[in-house]
Amino acid sequence: MIYGIFVIIGLIALTDACDTISQLLLKHSINTLDVHVDTIRKALRFVLRLVRSPLVWCGFLFSTVSLGVWLFVLTKAPLNFAYSLDSMRYVMIALASVVVLKEKVGAVRWLGILSVVIGIAMVAAG
Amino acid sequence: MPKKSRLTFKILCFLISIDLLETVAQFCFKKSALGYAQLEIKSFLDAIHFVQTMIPSAYLWLGLLSVIVIFIIWSTILSKVDLSVAVPVCSFSYITVPLVSALFFHEKISFLRWGGIGFILIGVILVSMSSVHKEESR
Repeated sequence: MIYGIFVIIGLIALTDACDTISQLLLKHSINTLDVHVDTIRKALRFVLRLVRSPLVWCGFLFSTVSLGVWLFVLTKAPLNFAYSLDSMRYVMIALASVVVLKEKVGAVRWLGILSVVIGIAMVAAG
Repeated sequence: MPKKSRLTFKILCFLISIDLLETVAQFCFKKSALGYAQLEIKSFLDAIHFVQTMIPSAYLWLGLLSVIVIFIIWSTILSKVDLSVAVPVCSFSYITVPLVSALFFHEKISFLRWGGIGFILIGVILVSMSSVHKEESR
């Protein structure tokens, strides 16, 4: 039983990691394009340029893997338990934003992210 | 670079619209899947067959359309704000889904859940503040 729980926690971490990588690839591609979008027409043109990037498709692949692992987790674990732990994605994305994208995350933002994580865990458990 | 990473009211509205569209997409997928619920899925091939039979369903295409619109809006948002801001602020659905379930399906919201909604709200406000503050200090 304990072994099972650790496997489930590991798999949830895996979905969140895949999701984080997918978001990182998307954000990185957008950063390298460096465009200013203010109209719908510009937004559409921007997205058309974006989907030509192989990195974005790499991201889609990671999203698909993430979804597959998540569906598997849901067949093994109760939804409220899985959902509570799934909120660790917010911490992973914040860490990755700092390390990979060099975003500046101050104390207030960390506090906010922590508060969201606690909140989601409570909503899912309650 | 100076105008980047600023969370304006407009971007906040876009972020909330993503949560709404996400709900629409999930609703459509569930609706299209329910139409073929009698099929049994035991293997990977069964799953592919299941998706194949869903192709004529209008709900499936409406759901896919929502996903495409979500991607366009999400990319536009990310071209304007930090990833570490956009992702936590997008957690609104954790608040709206219990509220909608309480309103339309008369589900009870427990004390713990109300507390969680409060924490998420405080978190989203703090993250939003951190983004606006950064802009002012420049």
